Amino acid sequence: MTPLLHLQDLSVDLPLGGLFSRGKALNILAGITLDLPRGQTLGLVGESGSGKTTLARAILGLQPSSGTMLFDGKPLASRSDYRAIRRRSALMFQDAAASLSPRMNVEQAITEPFTIHREPMGRRRDRAAELLAEVGLPAAFAARFPHELSGGQARRVGVARALALKPELVIADEPTAGLDVSVQADILNLMADLKERHGLSYLVITHNLALIRHVADRIAVLYLGRLVETGPTAEIFAVPAHPYTQSLIAAEPKPDPRKRRADLAIQGEIPGVLRRPRACEFHTRCPLAQEICRQDEPVLRTIAPGRQARCHLIEEKTLNRETTDELDHQSPQLS
Amino acid sequence: MPSDAEIAPAEPARQGRERRAAGRVLHRSSLRVLLRDPMGALGLILVVTFVGMAVFAPWLAPYDPLKLDVMNKFQPPSWAHPAGTDQLGRDLLSRIIYGARTALSIALTSVGLAGIGGLILGMIAGYGPRWLDGILVLIFDSVSSLPMIMLALAVITIIGPGTDTLILVVVTVSIPAYARLIRAQTLGMAQSDFIVAERAMGASGARILIRHLLPNVVGPLVILLSMDVPIVIMLEAGLSYLNLGVRPPTPSWGNILYDGYTSLRSAPHMVLIAGLPLVLSTLGFTFLGEGLRDALDPKLVKGGA
Ligand SMILES: Nc1ncnc2c1ncn2[C@@H]1O[C@H](COP(=O)(O)OP(=O)(O)O)[C@@H](O)[C@H]1O
Ligand SMILES: [Mg+2]
Repeated sequence: MTPLLHLQDLSVDLPLGGLFSRGKALNILAGITLDLPRGQTLGLVGESGSGKTTLARAILGLQPSSGTMLFDGKPLASRSDYRAIRRRSALMFQDAAASLSPRMNVEQAITEPFTIHREPMGRRRDRAAELLAEVGLPAAFAARFPHELSGGQARRVGVARALALKPELVIADEPTAGLDVSVQADILNLMADLKERHGLSYLVITHNLALIRHVADRIAVLYLGRLVETGPTAEIFAVPAHPYTQSLIAAEPKPDPRKRRADLAIQGEIPGVLRRPRACEFHTRCPLAQEICRQDEPVLRTIAPGRQARCHLIEEKTLNRETTDELDHQSPQLS
Repeated sequence: MPSDAEIAPAEPARQGRERRAAGRVLHRSSLRVLLRDPMGALGLILVVTFVGMAVFAPWLAPYDPLKLDVMNKFQPPSWAHPAGTDQLGRDLLSRIIYGARTALSIALTSVGLAGIGGLILGMIAGYGPRWLDGILVLIFDSVSSLPMIMLALAVITIIGPGTDTLILVVVTVSIPAYARLIRAQTLGMAQSDFIVAERAMGASGARILIRHLLPNVVGPLVILLSMDVPIVIMLEAGLSYLNLGVRPPTPSWGNILYDGYTSLRSAPHMVLIAGLPLVLSTLGFTFLGEGLRDALDPKLVKGGA
């Protein structure tokens, strides 16, 4: 079955408009190759600044990019292709309140997709009430303005708007950011519920490992705009292959502090796209870095069925299964 | 990312429930802030008086402002002529009242046209393609590097003095400042999440510009426009005084000032009587503009409401 979304070698470069840097560009993302099978949840994890939001925007054509994107098997190239993907998918913003127009009440906000795409909606008020009910808000919220909503309520309104046109793909950028723990759980349950009911496919973007472990079927780990590891969630959490993934998982808060691995802790800050390290981007913080990591850029390669990683040292790692004979040095491949 | 508590409405549900349109509430509390400021309130009174004079001139003026009565020239203020008469025996009060109409219509026409032009060009520059932005900014910079009075004199020399010339000059000179303000507002607003959200939903550029950017960028422009009205009133009076503006016999404060100056010996009251409304109306607009600016500042509104 063709995946709902297929990205091949996607990259994003921001042109620098300064007087002395005209023509130059800042590389934000490169070589992003990903599949999102229909009906699944793909989790995109990475520290802040790794390019997660940029990737979400590139998929919807809000950010110019190069590479190949297929939505439901059809390439995204022209304006009308993007209009189609925007009609059939929805983006939930990291800051839900800011993604609502300050001058529109909730009713206008959540029925806006119908207006934009000239889709029949019946009576606006009924449709708004229906959508609000789907996300567990009383119909009276239709008259509220964004500044009269709490963080959790704004998030629910964002979900209602995302659902309006029955999308196939929902891209959720940090869906729990800024919410209290109990509200976070409510939102995640709501999203899971709606996925079941409407057969949605999710691309969930977050820096929160606990969240991604809970919701994602597969995960993709991003470091400084490069995929460093992809694979099924359970397998990656059981046996992380890339040293970065290992450090992330090791640094995760655990009930038993003795289980934390100090030797795998990431050192220092993420360098940032302006000071991207040469060769392997992670070598400046990698506890296992060797000479080759400072010399050559690794490629994303298959390390086990359905799993890829981008690291020179994987052969020396002990994965659960014996996988060294399946290594593919030629080109990155997708399962 | 603000926490839940920070996003929560500033006012408790007590008030929030009854709110239907936030815009109206904001408007009401802005007006309250404006009126609490004595300068703002004074400005409002002066401007209302001035606008009232202009609008109701035919009913307020005791005489026809153009009617000559040479027998009664240079009359000092009296019951029959509360402001006296000029060198041709015309009733000065009537001429002052009609002069308000001249000043206001020129100021509003030129500032209004310039505002609309600045709005359109600024939004195109701020949301359109980069190359177009570059060209427009270059044009704004070149035009605004010319001093208004130089340009005015040049245009008057070429096409002659008159109301149209005045309006043309003001519109040309003011558009760049307005357009730059709108451009900056638009550029900033275009990056905001709710505009990106519109694009993500598939909204067309035209819809985003008109339905979403326009209502959010006009606020500061309205304040700037109201603060520019007195400048245009002064310019009109100044050029008319120099006989380069409104052509006599049309009543204009500048013309009356000029007449008063030439007959300073025989009728010293004329200069005073034409000068006073000019000073009061420009002060009124300035106070009102500053009051509006403070009243529309969301921080002050919140603190005061
Ligand atoms: N408009 C922009 N101008 C300059 N740098 C940008 C811009 N947008 C994103 N970046 C840079 O791109 C990188 C990725 O940003 P983003 O996609 O927001 O990361 P994330 O969502 O993972 O936190 C960051 O280093 C950020 O500074
Ligand atoms: Mg982000």
